[in-house]
Amino acid sequence: MSKLAHNEVISLILSIGMMLIIARLFGEMFRKFRMPLVVGELVAGVLLGPSLLGRYYPEMSGIIFSTGTNVSIAMSGITSISVIMLLFVAGMEVDLSLIRSQGSTAVKTSFVGLIIPFALGYFFAFNFYNLFGDNNANDVLVFSLFIGTAMSISALPVIARTLMDLGIFKTRIGMIIIAAAMFDDLVGWILFSVVLGMMKGAVGHNFIFTFGLTILYAAIMLTVGRILINKAIPWAQKNFSWPGGFLSISLGLAFLGAAFTEYIGIHAIFGAFIVGIAFGDSVHLTEKTREIVQQFVTNIFAPLFFVSIGFKVNFVDNFNLEITALVLGLAIACKLIGASLGALWGGLKPNEALAVGFGMNARGAMEIILALLALQAKLISEQLFVAIVIMAVVTSIMAGPALALLLKLKPTVLENENK
Amino acid sequence: MENSKTEKQQLFEKIAVAVAFSPRIEAILAQAKELQKIFNSHLLFIHVGEHTLQQEQYLTHLIHRFGLDLPHNKIVWDSGEPVEAILAICQKEQVDLLVAGALEKESILKYVMGSVARKLSRRVKCSMLMLTEPSIKPNGFKNIVVVGTDHPKTENTISVAISLAKAYRAQEVSIIQESDPSKLAIIRSDELLEHEVEQHKDKIQKEEDEKIEEILRCSDCGELQIKLKRIEGKPGYVITQFARENAADLLVLNSPDRKMNILDRVFPHDIEHALADLPCNLLIVNPKKDEDDNVA
Repeated sequence: MSKLAHNEVISLILSIGMMLIIARLFGEMFRKFRMPLVVGELVAGVLLGPSLLGRYYPEMSGIIFSTGTNVSIAMSGITSISVIMLLFVAGMEVDLSLIRSQGSTAVKTSFVGLIIPFALGYFFAFNFYNLFGDNNANDVLVFSLFIGTAMSISALPVIARTLMDLGIFKTRIGMIIIAAAMFDDLVGWILFSVVLGMMKGAVGHNFIFTFGLTILYAAIMLTVGRILINKAIPWAQKNFSWPGGFLSISLGLAFLGAAFTEYIGIHAIFGAFIVGIAFGDSVHLTEKTREIVQQFVTNIFAPLFFVSIGFKVNFVDNFNLEITALVLGLAIACKLIGASLGALWGGLKPNEALAVGFGMNARGAMEIILALLALQAKLISEQLFVAIVIMAVVTSIMAGPALALLLKLKPTVLENENK
Repeated sequence: MENSKTEKQQLFEKIAVAVAFSPRIEAILAQAKELQKIFNSHLLFIHVGEHTLQQEQYLTHLIHRFGLDLPHNKIVWDSGEPVEAILAICQKEQVDLLVAGALEKESILKYVMGSVARKLSRRVKCSMLMLTEPSIKPNGFKNIVVVGTDHPKTENTISVAISLAKAYRAQEVSIIQESDPSKLAIIRSDELLEHEVEQHKDKIQKEEDEKIEEILRCSDCGELQIKLKRIEGKPGYVITQFARENAADLLVLNSPDRKMNILDRVFPHDIEHALADLPCNLLIVNPKKDEDDNVA
């Protein structure tokens, strides 16, 4: 068995340590300006990677993110694990019982908020394929489906905070919108898994087989699996050390689920996402346990993943103004129209509905994960990847000020309340 | 039991009793007798399905034995599908409370498919009392657990529970506010600082506390000892667990907001957690028509 050489081990550990510290510093700096941590982490990667520091001082950049073959493979493994865990946590945020309790109104709201961006994105990509640059020309249908999906995704935490600022988080309408956003997430990731399944070149199964197994896996995990997990948690609570026991078992099952979905031909993230939903729905899961899992993943693995993006792609060389403007404009138009109409149908006033539109327009970390997976699957070019990342960052940044403007809120409601 | 007649009449003027010729029929009638006595109600005994002359005579005999053969009480014999027939009769007769016996727990298959009592509880338009352990010598409800979760129906539900508790001279009334951790987790994942999350949480809880305090201020609680308690967990589940752990004899919950179906049992929420495994007798409070309009 080959193993890392002594200097490679040092290099790997050094990379991880520096990436974590730099990501935190940049993240906190950006948070001071009320921007998401993920933006700071991304910017850190871009500044220290081949786009800037690596261009002029490649040796220095190489210390932070080693490009040695063996170390690269090890880092690639770590970032793959990171993204699986990120999707597990995202799954834990999806509350199936909340979606059920809000009934058809939430589904209708979600449907409008999802179908309009998806349809517009799909239509535009299918008919104006060339405007998106030099992407995988083999299958325009799959590419268009991906663009449709990318337009539909939204960041659940941002919408939750929007509703909180509106003072309607706990109201029926607030819950309808939260449930709709959760449903959007669920459908969005299923859609994306199907898109990756349709590409199937990387694995050996046919699409129908993969699709059938995907549905079967999701159905079993969300019914029988969910019930078993719910019953197993109190037992584990009694017999294992807690919350360490929960961390091991939940993440262990997430990896098993991820391995299964990877095997059947869709991406590993889908398996982890579904296991996350099954765990998150348990009545025995306390806030403290949730928080521990969330903190563990979002503060250790998420930064590694997001910083590493900046090291993998040269954002300067691959920046294309036309493509970026197109993706940004299309994304904002699609989501504002779709989500605002959905919220309007859900019962909000026009300005509130528009605020929700801006809230749901924030794509956040999930869009970046989606784009990276598409890039790795060679479905999109690096230029389009850069455009999507910029779109995710810009839509996340603009959500706060747009809301403040629409709702005439002062910039920091909480800070003002503190005084 | 010293309530004014007006209050008694306002609560449950007409009570329907779903009669099945099971071993618990006498206990159910005994409970009905107690309810009638307390609320001065008219009783309606409903039996749906084939019945024999012998059964008719038996029911008449029991009604006489319990002193329920009063002029304003009546028996309705009907045929057809029990749930649909009972719902139709309750609607037609403008029943305020439906009383039925229920098992604490049913087999998974029966629970998913739905028993008569549970199907009724999910669809009935009036309030419903599900008796898990009816007694031939009813002892009233002494330890009552009431939902205090922030919801438009909660005010009416607490008000009904307080009237009931006063009528039964309950020794303990606990109002349970449920905090759902999954909702807080979403806020937390928005990279807020710890104190910001706590502030959001405190703000939500303060608003909820103020609402409950306002409800209690407006209610005539008399000498009742009312405890307010906040528990973290899934709505419906934590209150059910609390009722079980505290050996409550009555759990009072809001009625479902919409018609529940099989998916609500597969992905349980709110009242479905209680129906899956009843911790004690369950009162589901459905606002009356005029109250319903206010709630909406």
